[in-house]
Amino acid sequence: MKMFLRRLWRNFCLMLGNQHSLTLYFLPLLQRLWPGFLPGKYRAHLLTKQWQTTDMLQLTFKVSGRWPGFIAGQHLLLTIHHNGRYSSRPFSICSPVSLWQSQRQIQLCCKINHAGEITPLLQQLQSGAVVNISAAQGNFYWQQPATPAVFVAAGSGITPIAAMLLSQRHWLAAVTLYYRVRGTENAALLSELQQLAARQPLFTLALSDSRTEPAETLQQQLCTDSYNKQFYLCGPAAFMQQLRLVLSQSGVKPASIQQEQFGLTMPTASEHASATKQLTASFIRAGISTEVTLSTQHSLLQNAEQQGLAPRFGCRIGVCLQCVCDKVSGQVRDIRSGVLSGHGAEQIQLCVSQPVTALVIKL
Amino acid sequence: MKLSTEQFTALQHELDSVKQQVQTQLGEADARYIRRVLLLQRLSALSGRILLVLGFITPWLWLAGVLLLALAKILDNMEIGHNVLHGQYDWMNDPVLHSKRFEWDIACDAASWQRTHNFEHHTYTNIIGKDRDFGYGLLRLSNDFRWRLRNLWQGGTYLLLSMLFQWGVSYHELAAQRVFFGKKKADRHTQVSDSELKRAFFGKGARQLIKDYLFFPLIAGPMWLWVLSGNLLANLLRNVWTSTVIFCGHFTKEVYAFRPEDCENESRGQWYYRQMLGSSNFTGPTWLHILTGHLSCQIEHHLFPDIPARHYPAMAKQVQAIAAKYGIPYNSGSFVRQYSTVFLRIMRYSLPGGNRATAPGQLQQSGPV
Repeated sequence: MKMFLRRLWRNFCLMLGNQHSLTLYFLPLLQRLWPGFLPGKYRAHLLTKQWQTTDMLQLTFKVSGRWPGFIAGQHLLLTIHHNGRYSSRPFSICSPVSLWQSQRQIQLCCKINHAGEITPLLQQLQSGAVVNISAAQGNFYWQQPATPAVFVAAGSGITPIAAMLLSQRHWLAAVTLYYRVRGTENAALLSELQQLAARQPLFTLALSDSRTEPAETLQQQLCTDSYNKQFYLCGPAAFMQQLRLVLSQSGVKPASIQQEQFGLTMPTASEHASATKQLTASFIRAGISTEVTLSTQHSLLQNAEQQGLAPRFGCRIGVCLQCVCDKVSGQVRDIRSGVLSGHGAEQIQLCVSQPVTALVIKL
Repeated sequence: MKLSTEQFTALQHELDSVKQQVQTQLGEADARYIRRVLLLQRLSALSGRILLVLGFITPWLWLAGVLLLALAKILDNMEIGHNVLHGQYDWMNDPVLHSKRFEWDIACDAASWQRTHNFEHHTYTNIIGKDRDFGYGLLRLSNDFRWRLRNLWQGGTYLLLSMLFQWGVSYHELAAQRVFFGKKKADRHTQVSDSELKRAFFGKGARQLIKDYLFFPLIAGPMWLWVLSGNLLANLLRNVWTSTVIFCGHFTKEVYAFRPEDCENESRGQWYYRQMLGSSNFTGPTWLHILTGHLSCQIEHHLFPDIPARHYPAMAKQVQAIAAKYGIPYNSGSFVRQYSTVFLRIMRYSLPGGNRATAPGQLQQSGPV
């Protein structure tokens, strides 16, 4: 019944305004009344900007009262309107939940990549500027606070882990944070974590400087002390892959390892037999079909962009689902998991799909 | 008028660089412009529908309502819909103005139109037998088509097509696929099944009919007849205007058509060349360009279909200079002049005989290949 009513309403909106919702029909008017209004998103005002390190910028936002909140460790999509274009990227929330509960404020720690599209713009944002945020998402959070836990953060991977630790009110078990950075001057959120370590006897902070300490030392430390512990890992993909391998070799169950990934590592051509073949694809955009030769070393999004097709995209790491497209036929591989798709029609994410066979895709 | 291989390549580079120049400066100004047009469209649609009901105060208000509603429909179909569905604003990542999501206030389903128009018409522009937009399978527009008895009254057919244009556009793909009538072609290629075509055709058509001829008259209560007739008139005005603009783009006197065998293995330069010969512009003030969705610059639209249309008038100057340099005819004139040649063409070819619009070997390169 509810489904039926929803479909009826959708058809009614389509009839009246040729849009799936009346909000979309009235969007030009609504955006005049509330600058920065975007359906399905929430508004956030920038309060302050502060450099945590030379390339990590901490942004404090006052978020809309409608924003449904978050679990420490989750991320959100930040959407910026610049030069006529909406662009989104995922960022982990680094502030404790209490800050949001008491003052409706959240903090994001963003690594500024000067060659990127979004992060240099964050640097230019003035206080009071309005951006859009999505609801919080992701399932990287502190699942069993009563079990002893080991947190491992590398570089900007500290952001969700800092939120988890700083949000914790009742400490029930011993927790160690291994924080791997390139020199302590590049350790974001360090003073907050040091204060926590000073005030909370169950929490130990262990800094690991990648300039002086080889990765093996850290791995050994983790393995000697791994019995019956929960592991939470966050950092670059290659770093975590290695760590996971070492931990599972020393007998840690996969179920005891939680991780959040930043960035994608593209499997190299030699890993897959199909990569040696020349593949072709038809990308159908706005009714026009373009035949292209695919590079199996790149994602379909990169392939399409190399042909000048400019499909819609967001985070480029499989989080935001903005690049979802209809695959008409052919097989793709999920870059993150290596799982193969079916051969028939289905929806795929361009940014994390690698071609396996010839493809027909509606962009 | 024949060009050599080198000239075709040079032509391609020059036109590519015109496109490149505009592409690099797309940004805030384009976004602000199209959002303002969208706002204007929404406001005129809302005020138009309200004024139709206020016709009981004075019929002049009703008339203003009709004109505003027609304006809203024309803006929606031409400057917004046509251009957005070409993907001109996809780079904006906007929740409304995106070729994948946009749906327009016309009987034709957007996806069906993208297949027939963006693909068939824009790829095979004016190739006899491949681009069914050349005469829409109803009108004989040159002696490349055999004369039939029904062409005798094609003046009337044209008038009817013009008044019911949105339904012609909507039925276009179903006619090509012989969904209801005729024998299916052996070599037909389909992206979608017949049942999907039917569902889109009836679904979209029904929604449009219910909106204008059932829903709004019903909620107008005692003013139902005023609203119904106002909607009918607004749709009619839109149909006649869009069909007139579109006929001026490809069926003027000096427009060329092509034989399929001349277009095999054509280069990008030759494709550009064919688009220039197969289209025609008309001149006028800025508001006229906007009301036509900048299809008054049909030549530029066919050369650069995915460049935001507001740039066409400026690009036209460059394109015209390039055309003059290579001795390619550039078909432009006032709206009245261009339209009268269209009308004369329809009348002339309702009788047997006449000239061909194609010239054998016209696309082949002169000199050593």
